[in-house]
Amino acid sequence: MSGRRESDAINRLMPEGLETIAEMEAESRPGREGEPHGDDSLMERFDRWGLRRYSAWDGVKAVALAVLLLLLFAGGAVRKAADELKPGLGRDIVKAVGSPSGWVADQLPLAGARRDLTSWLSPNQELTGRGFAAGGVSPGRTASVLPPVPAAPQPLDRLLVTGDSLSTPLDIEIARKLADRGSGVEVTRDPHLATGISNAGLVDWSRLSTTQAADDHPDAVVMFIGANEGYSMPGPGGAQVSCCGPQWEAIFRSRVSQMMGNYLGGGAQRVYWLTVPTQRDPARKPIADDVNRAIEEAASAYGPAVRVVDLRPTFTPGDTYRDSISISGNQTIVRQSDGIHLNQTGASVAADLVLAALDRDFTY
Amino acid sequence: MLFPTVEFAIFFPIVLALSWALMPRQQLWKPFIVVASYVFYAAADPRFCFLLAAITLVSQGAAVAIQRTEDERLRKWFTAGGVAFDLGALAVFKYYGFFVSDVSDALDSIGLGMPLPLVTIALPVGVSFFSFQAVTYVVDVKRRQTEPASLLDAAVYLSFFPHLVAGPIVRASEFLPQLREPRDPNRVAVGAGLSLVALGLIKKVMIADYLGRTLVDPVFAVPQSYGAPDAILAAYGYAAQIFCDFSGYTDMAIGLALLMGFVFPQNFNSPYRATGFRDFWRRWHMTLSRFLRDYLYIPLGGNRKGRIRTYLNLMLTMALGGLWHGAAWNFVAWGAYQGTGLSAEHAIKGRLGRIFPGWLRWFVTFNLIVVGWILFRSTSIAALGDYMSALVRSGPATLYSVPVVGAILLVIGLQLLPERPMEGIELRLGRLQPLLLGAALALVVVVVGATVPSQGVPPFIYFRF
Repeated sequence: MSGRRESDAINRLMPEGLETIAEMEAESRPGREGEPHGDDSLMERFDRWGLRRYSAWDGVKAVALAVLLLLLFAGGAVRKAADELKPGLGRDIVKAVGSPSGWVADQLPLAGARRDLTSWLSPNQELTGRGFAAGGVSPGRTASVLPPVPAAPQPLDRLLVTGDSLSTPLDIEIARKLADRGSGVEVTRDPHLATGISNAGLVDWSRLSTTQAADDHPDAVVMFIGANEGYSMPGPGGAQVSCCGPQWEAIFRSRVSQMMGNYLGGGAQRVYWLTVPTQRDPARKPIADDVNRAIEEAASAYGPAVRVVDLRPTFTPGDTYRDSISISGNQTIVRQSDGIHLNQTGASVAADLVLAALDRDFTY
Repeated sequence: MLFPTVEFAIFFPIVLALSWALMPRQQLWKPFIVVASYVFYAAADPRFCFLLAAITLVSQGAAVAIQRTEDERLRKWFTAGGVAFDLGALAVFKYYGFFVSDVSDALDSIGLGMPLPLVTIALPVGVSFFSFQAVTYVVDVKRRQTEPASLLDAAVYLSFFPHLVAGPIVRASEFLPQLREPRDPNRVAVGAGLSLVALGLIKKVMIADYLGRTLVDPVFAVPQSYGAPDAILAAYGYAAQIFCDFSGYTDMAIGLALLMGFVFPQNFNSPYRATGFRDFWRRWHMTLSRFLRDYLYIPLGGNRKGRIRTYLNLMLTMALGGLWHGAAWNFVAWGAYQGTGLSAEHAIKGRLGRIFPGWLRWFVTFNLIVVGWILFRSTSIAALGDYMSALVRSGPATLYSVPVVGAILLVIGLQLLPERPMEGIELRLGRLQPLLLGAALALVVVVVGATVPSQGVPPFIYFRF
């Protein structure tokens, strides 16, 4: 009797004509052998609702219209999406669609109207500053024109942790460890997934670094990037230089140097730049080697203002990829299954290395 | 390939048109849709196609072998073999690292450390879903609830791209009958399909990702930096985020399938209007909860073996259900928490209605569910402790804003409205002319696209599972 009252009370909460508790209970009965499941009746809900039916070709035409409108109003987005993809057949297909649709969209005023009408919805910061120099080698700022680095440790109030997908969960681990120490350091986490210094078509890290320095006013910057490098970049004379080799490395070095200068010129006292540990896929090793050499060479021009936090001796000693390392005597997995990123434990180890470097230069 | 991507926007219209063009010729349509689904899956990693094919072949072999014999002992063995293969694949790819590192730590702690092969194994996207669907196929054939399909039909069933990577978990008995005849090209729920796709996009990108970016991720990442007002808001925010993220995916999956002429089971039914844990699990991820009920809880004995055994079965079912969500102890703890709630409710069933009014049962249930989400979202037991500390620490309210609080209230409030008006809105949208809805879909994509940050659209939460 009480169960009945409970069901009645709950049913009063439910709208008339929809599922009652009794119906739900009936649905939950397991089907007997040879009978369909009790709740297969849920499959008929669209009929029960009496939804209007159209022909399949009405559906195809509706989807085609949606796609056509999108190409007209946002064809450039398709072209941009191709830049975000890893090289391969998928990227080639998207590019084959994006190039002509982007061209058509460029010729029409619709994309501009769309941007004007929807820009207020965008959460993105307006990028400022100078982009990477076409032609490759840009001097950027040099140590000589930057303010001198304080000799004594300075108070650390604001820390920016940024980069591509490599920078997370490192950013979370650094923030947690600083909070655990009871510091009042304000940590800004700003990962830009799928981006690369060599792929300015997606995000121009020169402009982004200038904007970050101006908006966040960090005392120090931690940079961990390098999972999406290897894209061709315009070299002197404008010709595309493909990875890898001394010429590609020189262009990459100048871009890294420009970013370091942007942070330091924007007010950061120090930049901590992490090297990329060896990755599982041997095909990625030449890229990582060029990236790491470029980081070290670019940093050397800035003296103590830029410190390279080298992760390779800890995670891949001997330049040999491994999933696990010894932590407190126990072998522990520190990489994600993609063989590129650090997992949470690995990020915690990397965060300790970053904090050790920060301890030399800052108090908090 | 994710639904809200440019790649999928190119893939789907082509596949949709070809699918309807080939539909009358089933001998062409079926191979076509299998190939299209494998192309969809290969976009993530082509190697995983071999796993999907292996699960299809073994499950089909088991189903045919089961049907060909009347010997119950043999039928059981074939069923066990098929299920063991499907779940074994899931275990290896999803739980190997978790199991080995925990066993290694346990052995180390008692001085029996030994070098176990510590390697990371890439998790094939969707393996949790299609392996469970394969289990339903084998077991339903064993239970004589469905006939074995042809190998091609089984391949279509397991690989059909709208449900391939994150469900809903469609049972063989629901899908295979839809393959017996070509889908009727004159009875397609175009309006409902397009509306669901648009609604799913809005839920995922405009609500779930927004709440994640501005509220949930910062607080759960470093709860030590926040006080109770922000921690409480973030817990409710996560309840809204995970609902919009997962039900948004489901809406898109169901909508895309409708456009192709197929019906998937319902997966969400206003879960936050539940007035108890049992009610919640009838409304939240309904296709998983019925899988757990039909293929785990009831085979374990259900409630037929006494009170204590019922509670044990509930706890075991929900703890394993928790573990299905991810290879980590916080998911087991979340499952055990749900099992405890269900057991407690079972113990006092019938008395609740007498003692407490409906609104109070709703209020208590909703808040207990939100507490459960804190367990679910915390990345470790230590992080959970930090979050619980934040919940009782005084501090300023730094993350309250009209859009954030409004989004949470909207998501939860809409579920509390009588369902008839919502149904009415869906019906009205479903009756609009398809071309008008196509234009509206383009508008929704433009508006939703404008809200995507430069960091991109994060993956669906349930892709990890």
